[in-house]
Amino acid sequence: MVWFKRSQFLILLCLTILVIGSMKLTEFDLSKFRDFQNMGDFLSKWFPMNTESLPFLFQESLLTIAIAFLGSLFGLIIALPLSFMAARNTSKNRFVFSVTRFLLSFLRSVPEFVFGLILLTTLGPGPFPAVIAIIFHNIGVLGKLISELIESADKGPMEAMLAVGAKKWIGNLFAVLPQIWPNVLSQFFYRFEVAIRTSLILGLIGGGGIGQQLFIHFKTFQYQLVSVDVLLIMIMVIMVDYIGSKIREKVI
Amino acid sequence: MIEFKSVSVTYPGAKEPALADVNITFQKGEFVCVLGRSGAGKSTFIRCINGLQPVSEGYVKWEDKTLSEMTHKETLEVRRKTGMIFQHFNLIPRMSVVQNILTGLFGYKKSYENLLGLFKSSDRLQALEAIDQVELTVEPTRRVEKLSGGQKQRVAIARALVQNPKVFLGDEPVASLDPGTADRIFQLLKKTHVKRNLVSIINVHDVILAKKFATRIIALKDGKLVFDGTPEEFDDKVYADIYNHSS
Ligand SMILES: Nc1ncnc2c1ncn2[C@@H]1O[C@H](COP(=O)(O)OP(=O)(O)O)[C@@H](O)[C@H]1O
Ligand SMILES: [Mg+2]
Repeated sequence: MVWFKRSQFLILLCLTILVIGSMKLTEFDLSKFRDFQNMGDFLSKWFPMNTESLPFLFQESLLTIAIAFLGSLFGLIIALPLSFMAARNTSKNRFVFSVTRFLLSFLRSVPEFVFGLILLTTLGPGPFPAVIAIIFHNIGVLGKLISELIESADKGPMEAMLAVGAKKWIGNLFAVLPQIWPNVLSQFFYRFEVAIRTSLILGLIGGGGIGQQLFIHFKTFQYQLVSVDVLLIMIMVIMVDYIGSKIREKVI
Repeated sequence: MIEFKSVSVTYPGAKEPALADVNITFQKGEFVCVLGRSGAGKSTFIRCINGLQPVSEGYVKWEDKTLSEMTHKETLEVRRKTGMIFQHFNLIPRMSVVQNILTGLFGYKKSYENLLGLFKSSDRLQALEAIDQVELTVEPTRRVEKLSGGQKQRVAIARALVQNPKVFLGDEPVASLDPGTADRIFQLLKKTHVKRNLVSIINVHDVILAKKFATRIIALKDGKLVFDGTPEEFDDKVYADIYNHSS
C-alpha cells in the first residue's frame, strides 16, 4: 500500500459516510427497478410519434434556440469586460476587484428559474424574461470562468504591451484575449448548450419554446407529442455541441 | 541621459533588497551589457529604467526628469521611446508578424485606433521596413507561433524599432536561443544601436557575448553594483568574483 497515506484512509472514511447519508436522504435503492415493466408501458405510449404538429413544434424549437443563443451571447458580451475587472492581474484596484467578484458570485448564486419568477412580475410571461434570466446567470458563470482564465494567462505579453507605452487596459486586452480566446469559445458553447436545457425549465413558468410545449403535452397526457418534443430537444443539443466543436477546431 | 541615484528595490515580503543603493549614469551611444548570476537583480534593474518596476528608495532620472514624479502620460512617453525585448519574446499569440510589429505603435495612437486597428498606410510601411531591418524573411501575415526562437526575437526587435526608440532594453534576450542564433541577434542589436545612436542596456548570461559586443560592462551581485568598466577591464579575476558561490 505504498501509494496511500494514513490521512487518505480518513478521507475515504468521510467519503463513505457522506455517500451512505446521501443515499438515505435520496431514498437511493436500486431494487426499486423491479417495477421496470411500468416504465416500459409508459414509454410505449410515446409511440407512434404524432408528427402532425411537427412544423409548429419545429418553430417552438427555434424559439428555444433563440432564447439560449441570446442568453449566452449577451451574457458573454457583458461578462467579458467584467471578468477583466474581476481578475487579480488586470483589475484596476482592490475595490473594483472585490465589488465585481461579489457581483459575479451574487448573479451566479441566483438560479435562472428564480430570476425568471421575479422578472415575470414586471415583464409578464413569455420568452423575453427567460432571455434576461439566462443572461443574468450567465454573466455570473462566464465572468468567473473567464476571470480565472485571465489570471492564468502568461504575463509576458502584458509586460511587453506596458513596455511599448500602451494604456494598461488596451495592453491587457491585446495581451490576454488572444491567449484565452479558444477557451472562452469553449465555455461559450458549453453555456449555450446548458442554456437550451435551462430554457426548457423556464418553459414551466411560461418562458415559451419547446420546453413549454413539453410541459403542456405532459400535463395533458399527449405522450405521442412528448416523444416529438424530446427528439427535437436532443437534436438541438447535439447540433449545438457539434457546431461548437467544429468552430473550436477552426480557432485553435 | 539616464541616471540612477541611490536606487534600491525591495519586493514586498522580501528581507534583502533585490537592488541595493545603485548609482550609475548612462550616456547616448553606450552599448551596456549587464552581467550577474541568476537572482542578482538584473531584471529588476532593467525594469526600473522604464518604470515597469517602481523604486523603493532613490530615483531614476531621464534627462532632468525623475521617473517617479512624472505624470502617467509622461511615463507612457518614456516607455514608448524605450524599446524592450525579453527572454521569452513576449509576442502576442494568434496574431501575425506584422500585427505584432504594429502593436509597437500603441503608445503613439489613440485608444480607439488601437482597438479597431486603424493604422495608416505609412504605419504599415514602417512595419514592413522594420521587417527588412531585422532581416526577417518570413511572410508578414504568418502567425508568430509558427516561427523559430530567433525569428520570434527578430519580430520583437522589429516591434521595438517601430517605437522609434532612443533607448533599447533587453532582459536576457538571447537566453533561450542557441549560441549561433544568439550571436546573430546580438550583431543585429549592435547594428541598429550604431545606426540609430541609441543607449542600449542588455542583460546577458554569456560573458563572451558581453565582451564581444559591449562598449561598457556592469555587473550586479546580490543587488549591488560590483563592477563598472570596459570589456578589457572585465578579466578573469572580476569574473570569479562575480560568479563565485561562496557568499
Ligand atoms: N516579483 C517579485 N517578487 C518578489 N521577489 C522578486 C520578484 N522578482 C524578483 N524577485 C527577487 O529579487 C531578486 C532579484 O531578482 P531578478 O531581478 O529577477 O534577478 P535576475 O534577473 O538577475 O535573475 C531575486 O532574489 C528574486 O527572487
Ligand atoms: Mg532575470
